[in-house]
Amino acid sequence: MADKNENSLKAIDQIRKEFEERIQTAGSTEELDAVHRDFLSKKGKISRLFGLIGKVSPEERPRVGARLNELRQHAQSLLDEKRSSFDKQAKPVEEFDPTLPGREFPFGAIHPMMQVMDEIKTIFAGMGFRIEEGPEIETDYHNFEALNIPEFHPSRAMQDTFYLPDKMVLRTHTSPVQIRTMESQKPPVRMIAPGRCFRRDTPDASHSPTFYQVEGLCVDKNVTFADLKGVVTAFAQKLFGEDIKVRFRPSFFPFTEPSAEYDFSCFCQGKGCAVCKGTGWLEISGAGMVDPAVFGFVGYDPKLYSGYAFGMGIERIAMLKYKINDIRIFYENDIRFLEQFKMVR
Amino acid sequence: MKVTLNWLKDYVDFDIPADELAHRLTMAGLEVEAYYTVDYDFSGVFVGNIVEHQSIPGSDKLSLCKVNVNNELVQVVCGAPNARKGLKSAIALPGSKVGPLDIKTADIRGQHSEGMLCSEAELGLSNRAAGIMELPPDAKIGQPIESLFAESDVVFDIAITPNRPDCLSVIGIAREIAALGGARLHKPKIELSLNAEPVSDYIDVNILNADKCFRYSGRFLKDIKIQNSPYWMARRLYLVDVRAINNVVDITNYILMETGHPLHAFDYERLEGKKIIVRTAKEKEKFTTLDEKEHILTPEDLLICDAEKPVALAGVMGGFNSEVIDSTSSVFLESAYFEPVSISRTAKNLELSTESSRRFERGADPNGTLYAMDRAAMLMQQYADATVLENTIDVYPRNVEPMNLSLTVRNTNRILGTDLHREDLETILSSIEFTITAKNDGVSVSVPTFRPDVQREIDLIEEIARLYNYDRIPTNTNPQVDLTQKSNKSSELKDYIRSVLTGLGFWETINLSLVNPQIAKPFLPEKQQFVELLNPLNTELSVFRPNMLYSLMTSVSYSRNRQFQNLRFFQVGNVAWMSPENQITEMTQIAAVITGQRKTQTWYQKPEAFDFYDIKGALFSLFDKLGVTAVKLTEAKDSFWDSTSAALSLNGRQIGAVGKLDSQVCDLFSARQDVYGFYLQFEPLFKAREKEIVFTQIPKYPSVPFDLALLVDASVPIADLEEGIWEKGGEHLIKVDLFDFYRGQQIEKNMKSVAFSLTFSSKERTLQDEYVNQVIDSILSHLRDKFGATLRPR
Ligand SMILES: [Zn+2]
Repeated sequence: MADKNENSLKAIDQIRKEFEERIQTAGSTEELDAVHRDFLSKKGKISRLFGLIGKVSPEERPRVGARLNELRQHAQSLLDEKRSSFDKQAKPVEEFDPTLPGREFPFGAIHPMMQVMDEIKTIFAGMGFRIEEGPEIETDYHNFEALNIPEFHPSRAMQDTFYLPDKMVLRTHTSPVQIRTMESQKPPVRMIAPGRCFRRDTPDASHSPTFYQVEGLCVDKNVTFADLKGVVTAFAQKLFGEDIKVRFRPSFFPFTEPSAEYDFSCFCQGKGCAVCKGTGWLEISGAGMVDPAVFGFVGYDPKLYSGYAFGMGIERIAMLKYKINDIRIFYENDIRFLEQFKMVR
Repeated sequence: MKVTLNWLKDYVDFDIPADELAHRLTMAGLEVEAYYTVDYDFSGVFVGNIVEHQSIPGSDKLSLCKVNVNNELVQVVCGAPNARKGLKSAIALPGSKVGPLDIKTADIRGQHSEGMLCSEAELGLSNRAAGIMELPPDAKIGQPIESLFAESDVVFDIAITPNRPDCLSVIGIAREIAALGGARLHKPKIELSLNAEPVSDYIDVNILNADKCFRYSGRFLKDIKIQNSPYWMARRLYLVDVRAINNVVDITNYILMETGHPLHAFDYERLEGKKIIVRTAKEKEKFTTLDEKEHILTPEDLLICDAEKPVALAGVMGGFNSEVIDSTSSVFLESAYFEPVSISRTAKNLELSTESSRRFERGADPNGTLYAMDRAAMLMQQYADATVLENTIDVYPRNVEPMNLSLTVRNTNRILGTDLHREDLETILSSIEFTITAKNDGVSVSVPTFRPDVQREIDLIEEIARLYNYDRIPTNTNPQVDLTQKSNKSSELKDYIRSVLTGLGFWETINLSLVNPQIAKPFLPEKQQFVELLNPLNTELSVFRPNMLYSLMTSVSYSRNRQFQNLRFFQVGNVAWMSPENQITEMTQIAAVITGQRKTQTWYQKPEAFDFYDIKGALFSLFDKLGVTAVKLTEAKDSFWDSTSAALSLNGRQIGAVGKLDSQVCDLFSARQDVYGFYLQFEPLFKAREKEIVFTQIPKYPSVPFDLALLVDASVPIADLEEGIWEKGGEHLIKVDLFDFYRGQQIEKNMKSVAFSLTFSSKERTLQDEYVNQVIDSILSHLRDKFGATLRPR
């Protein structure tokens, strides 16, 4: 008989333990409902324990009964406590404390390099340049030939190209968009071609096989090199501030003649620093007057029209703007990197 | 191209400081990438005379030298093969520093050594390391080496653009300096003592392919003594990165650097049949160049042959079988002009780019062959004891004449926006040796043949601009505008989509377009293949991405590997694939992914994981902001999805899909948690977007809400019920929202409870209950007939 009593008390303790475990791990009101159902409902484990009372010796009944009642109360109060803690979480706080963090709305951000790209697009749109787009997988003709870069010409070696079958290439610049635009429309043309380009460069701190460029083109009657200098200078000052100076130096590109490379004055204001390697100038990119041979490919009359073209690498500008020293970080998308640029627009 | 200041001064008198010269050259289009002073500190290194020389017993190489330095005899152990009695050389005394070496007295093989006899390489003066420095017999004993033989110089490293082969030479750059500084260029005069023997006794040249070889000139030189070239020559070559080898080879290299014209010296004794034949190679003909590499040629490649065999790959590299060696005593010196494209093809096809091919493929001067050859002969007479024959070889089947062009003042100013006059054009063009004749409206110009880049009027305009200085061309801050310009709606929409997605909480990423085909395989559309590069950097970057989700997954992978859990990424970019018929499809896609928690643990909320309805919600918010309403969900077929996914169709065409990525795909990117995403084609969205917004009158009469709770078989899609409600909702039903959804214990197992909130509204009147009840009845009976739905009792 004593054994039976012992067993009943053991059973009560075990159910108590089981209950406490369940209540501890319950993470939602739904789970609490389930705990209630499993233990305290009519068919619940605790309720069923009351059936044991009839099976213990009469003198022991009050003791077991009291133990059971105590368990039921304990279970109910644990359940209530847990439930109210959930309710508290779900409900607004009673006491007002303005320094508690507010419930923020999630937001994202534009990638820093694309912010620079967008800013450049906005500046040129404001100067009357239309945005044009073209395919990243280009024909050899549009990427090279129509830009006066014949096969086996030394200037082809200036760019390491990714080749595809059937005389297709991954475009090495966005200049083919200029060709496509001129093929489909008569002058005047004022356009910029922002986009992704490809060169067969092994990734390192200053090279990426994928990179972004913006190229601009203006063709009209009486367009001059002086206009080119004006537009690029205005752009530089809108992007980096009124104090920026622009320097043009002679260079060579097959699709422009005369050709130039242009530099922006360094942020050290000509004093010389590590970024400009002491020169006071930051090399940006190339530009020039459209070579009449290019007009020949698209059927424009070079006696009537002249034009200028310019390009720029977006990574280079973004790196200068944000003082970034490794191009690869743009393509890693580390959220600790992206988050640094969330406030910009 | 490297040049030194002292070398330049051989051809033009100027006194411009190095930094100013670098600036002026750069501003004239010869970009000085770097310049540096070469200075030596040889304190303790002197001219010494070896007065005694004996080998050390038991050693092959070492010898004991007694060296006279300023009437003092110094004993030195030396390992150089050229150490000999009577030689004057450079001796470093104890306490001096030679390169990284601190010179001390030492005991070597039991012999006391009080210094070191130095090679040019050890002193950093040239690349010659085989023996100790050989100073001329008249070098004064005891003189410090630095004052005698190591004058300081400045090396300029200049990036020469491919259009300027003339500047791949010291004379060419000197010519530019002359033009910039207003000085005159003076090229070295040819002075030769000549032998009257006819050259035809020795050699005869025949050009079979004049389209590839316009001119072939040559000289025969005999009684040559192969030895080291003079020290000054070795040092100059060293400063411009050319290795000194022997006097004949060094002289051809020196003249190549001086004039820009490539030369080649053949060992005459090894030419057979007294013949040079210039011909194209036979298909698969084999030839071994002097770097001992064998090449398999095609008929595009041009060969220089003797009577029996090829002896040089024309314009690219000489042959191993006929190069000048120590035993050479007669030389046939070639100075030719090869057609640029032909050389370029060969150099590219054989991946063999040399100083010679670089110049020929950019364009050498066909009328410069004789000068270069005579300069080399002159130096060989001086430094290799060569006897030079008076007769020369000069076969010139394609005469190249200076080009005659005209340039108008009007066109110059039309292109440049300047206000130049005829006199300006004359001054500028004559400064670079162009011959000018004045005309009414401009000038006639005869362009020397060393400037193959100047072929059109525009090329002359470039010369004007370049030498006038770009800085002096005005900057027009008020250019013409075009008011007819239209904006690009498609590009604007892409930017708008990007902005909406950031507003929805997504972060923009940019990833490489080139991907790993092994991992990207599941992302390839059915029956399509990758767009594969012919020359990838490596296999991990060898195909074009077939789906933007792949790119986003690489960013998920990056972040998960760094323990970041909650991610929301999007990207707009181009993808591509190829059909079995090799047709390439490239399109712009928009894609987004979410993974981790929708709600993170904070003081006011418990964590909750993202699920399908989060990504679907984001996607449909985007559709809402685009005014795209007709998107339908169908079964997704892409193999990278889990079953929890759906394809998106717009006007019967599939435009993308949304869902949970397959766990095996997630494993490929080590995501280690569920990832949800969508991708969309841009083009159909652009076509389907809301074009014009027209205002609709706000109803004057109150709307009537009605809540409809239904019990229906669990398999009936919500969208079908909604459609059923709309079908019978009548003209005044304006809105249907699902506000409750339940499956569970309260209702039968295979049933679900759904509750819609309907809104009725009329422009003309307040709707009465009878009307609404009537519509509800008709909706109910329709839903009952179609889906077996019943009203759920309250
Ligand atoms: Zn600086």
